[in-house]
Amino acid sequence: MDIYLYVEADTPLHRLDPRAKMLMLLALLLMAVAVDHPVLPGGLFLLVLVLAHVGRAWRSLRRVRTLLFIIGVFSTVTWSLFARGETPLFGPVQVEALLYGIGTGFKLVSTIAGSVVFLATTKNEEIATGLIRIGVPYPVAFAFSTALRLVPTFVGAGVTIIQAQKSRGLDVESGGFFQRLRKHLPLMVPVFAAAIRSTNQLAMALEAKGFGARPVRTYYLHLEFRPADWITAATGAALVVTALYLRLFSDALRIPGLIR
Amino acid sequence: MERADLTEAAQLASVDGNWAIKADGVSFTYSGAGRKALDGLNLAIRAGEFTVIAGASGAGKSTFCYCCNGLIPHFVRGQLDGDVRVFGRSTGSSKINQLAQDVGLVFQDFEAQLFSTNVELEVAFGPENFALPREEIRRRVRESLATVGLTGLERREPATLSGGQKQRLAIASVLAMEPRVIVMDEPTTDLDPVGKEGVFRVARQLRERAEFTMVVAEHETEEAIGADRVVVLDGGRIVADGSPRAVLARADWLEELGVQPLGAAQVLARLGEPVALTVEEAAARLADRGYRIDPASAARQDAAEAARAAGYGEVVLEARDLAYTYPNGVAALSGANLSVRRGEFVAVVGQNGSGKTTLVKHFNGLLAPTAGEVTVLGRPTTGQSVLQLGRSVGYVFQNPDHQIFAETVFDEVAFGPRNHGVPPGEVKERVAEALAAVGLAGRDREDPFAMTKGERQRVAVASVLATRPHVIVLDEPTTGLDYREQRRMMDLVRRLNEAGHTVIIVTHTMWVVAEYAHRTVVVKDGAIWLDGPTRAVMAREEELLAASLKPPQVVRLGNRLGRAFLSVAEAVRLLERPEAAGDAAPDDAAPGRAAGRGGRG
Repeated sequence: MDIYLYVEADTPLHRLDPRAKMLMLLALLLMAVAVDHPVLPGGLFLLVLVLAHVGRAWRSLRRVRTLLFIIGVFSTVTWSLFARGETPLFGPVQVEALLYGIGTGFKLVSTIAGSVVFLATTKNEEIATGLIRIGVPYPVAFAFSTALRLVPTFVGAGVTIIQAQKSRGLDVESGGFFQRLRKHLPLMVPVFAAAIRSTNQLAMALEAKGFGARPVRTYYLHLEFRPADWITAATGAALVVTALYLRLFSDALRIPGLIR
Repeated sequence: MERADLTEAAQLASVDGNWAIKADGVSFTYSGAGRKALDGLNLAIRAGEFTVIAGASGAGKSTFCYCCNGLIPHFVRGQLDGDVRVFGRSTGSSKINQLAQDVGLVFQDFEAQLFSTNVELEVAFGPENFALPREEIRRRVRESLATVGLTGLERREPATLSGGQKQRLAIASVLAMEPRVIVMDEPTTDLDPVGKEGVFRVARQLRERAEFTMVVAEHETEEAIGADRVVVLDGGRIVADGSPRAVLARADWLEELGVQPLGAAQVLARLGEPVALTVEEAAARLADRGYRIDPASAARQDAAEAARAAGYGEVVLEARDLAYTYPNGVAALSGANLSVRRGEFVAVVGQNGSGKTTLVKHFNGLLAPTAGEVTVLGRPTTGQSVLQLGRSVGYVFQNPDHQIFAETVFDEVAFGPRNHGVPPGEVKERVAEALAAVGLAGRDREDPFAMTKGERQRVAVASVLATRPHVIVLDEPTTGLDYREQRRMMDLVRRLNEAGHTVIIVTHTMWVVAEYAHRTVVVKDGAIWLDGPTRAVMAREEELLAASLKPPQVVRLGNRLGRAFLSVAEAVRLLERPEAAGDAAPDDAAPGRAAGRGGRG
């Protein structure tokens, strides 16, 4: 069963240097949270969809679509209810509050979808190498990429463990909160045991392949900033600045009359 | 260039009286363990030699492998005495990551040793650590992948490879460091027969390149035939050391040690004939000596099997046009039809990823059909919960460690019945009954985590038995167990079947299928490929091979002689020599045969 988000393909997004993509992702996150009006986060969400198309990341996005849908709807509804405005719409909801809710929904959805597109078009090793190139020490970058690598492994073990215990009659859905919590013990113990075992195996395999044998190591992945990367990075930097400006100094794209 | 220099150095070293690996009086006790895993081991391996280390679980095979590259004493905690030297360098005073350039270690668990997102980067990882130039790494990646036959898969994600390919990738990732010694710790344990062959083909190929010293730990011996030397360990000590012919010929003795013997060798030994190691050699020898299958015994056997088949009860499980597609779009089953009657003992076999596990997960409702229907005791599984179906169908998962969680064996086994709402008094009774059935009576206060893998597997079976299901499904019940444990496990399964349970096992261990299952169902590419009495299925070697399966030696030997033998004992029973009376030496065959049956060592 494949649970990785990365999709092997040769698209302009895949070819971009991971550092340029990381900067672009940062810009996306900042832009999304810069303003409350739904126009910008909504536009970003459309942009992410276009990028998903360019980067052939649909398969990975599809896998999180339920999550995106739930988060989008849930935050739109709750924030519409919690925020206050001036123009009544229906019941306790005002126009401003609804706009705010929609904006918050798009903020979350566009950042999650953007991260998924990033992971779908960037290999773990590229992320690690990119991090190293921007000055993160190798062990830290390696730990980060290994953590990304281990998540699917643990999820896979977790699925098997749930099936094994269900086969023995475990029913975690019924009962009160504490009862249900106690029922998770038969799941947690084997999951942790499996995690410890496979981490131990991994550590041995790393040692056996000479991990840390030389003070400097070679990076087989060759990263090179090409014109497209410079353009992307420059755009990303400009967007970061714009986002900061919008957030800190500008009143553009605010929702007039919104009371939080 | 560098290679040639190394080879010369290696040759010089061995002329010098030095060795590729030399263990002197090596003892090792894992911290917290009561006994020594290695006990005063003296073993010297010449440069360029291909050595197979055989032995049961706990004989010290893995421990020895870990000693070769310094994981012991640097990573694994415990008490090490004695000295291990690799090309004269003491492992105790060298770091593991430095030794990695001399000694490559391939682990048993191929899932855990791969961590990259594509094949190429996986292979590049070792050379990267030694700061080799990028061009050199590129060359090594190309050559290593070519050696293991994975050229063209550079961009694939390791997780999408088959088990055999994964293990070959692990070997390539070690080869790329160009070590002088390659140590493999039971590299084929979890592989289907054809995956195993692929790994051993690579091993043989490497062996032909004189510069490599190969050490392979195995508990199956068929692949050891091509080695230069076979060393048998027992209790951390060497109990045999010699050529494959000399060591593997002692088939019954190996079996007593818990090492799987060669079927062909065992048959000949028990018949009192000179030993042969391969099926062809054995078949030729038997033909030469005038052996044939006794038609009367064969007819009696056929009649007994027909009577058994006629005695099965009503249909308890049925799959009709069953199709299943995983949420990610992979079609695992397409139009499978299978019906199982009360009292049957069915083996569902197929290579890794063929869909066999997907098929049986429908029988207790873990999976619901995408199309088609599955019925249990006449009722469709759709609409019934796993809990409900669990009363009729018990499912034992492959790895006991995926379910064991309790502090005592009692609580572990009681888990199922308690979930089914059985009153405490009866739970006690059921646990005692289940533990007795698996041969663990009276051990209900023990900690399951402290038990051996074989025992933990039996605890897992007991925990399913305690819910008193009629049908018992076991997924890979023998994986990860050594030969002796496999036999104990399967004897237990056979007893359950004889006690009336309908048994379905999912496996690719073909000797287990031959010897225990009454009926064999072969799954290939999501459909039923072959389905019939085990003897009939085992006779169709070519079709089995097409499904990446290969019957064990004794079956193939029988097939050469015209009837699939399902076990060594059966072969010995069926073979006779009508012209033995007229033979030049009539006396030596008969007594040898009698003694062989008695289990002569």
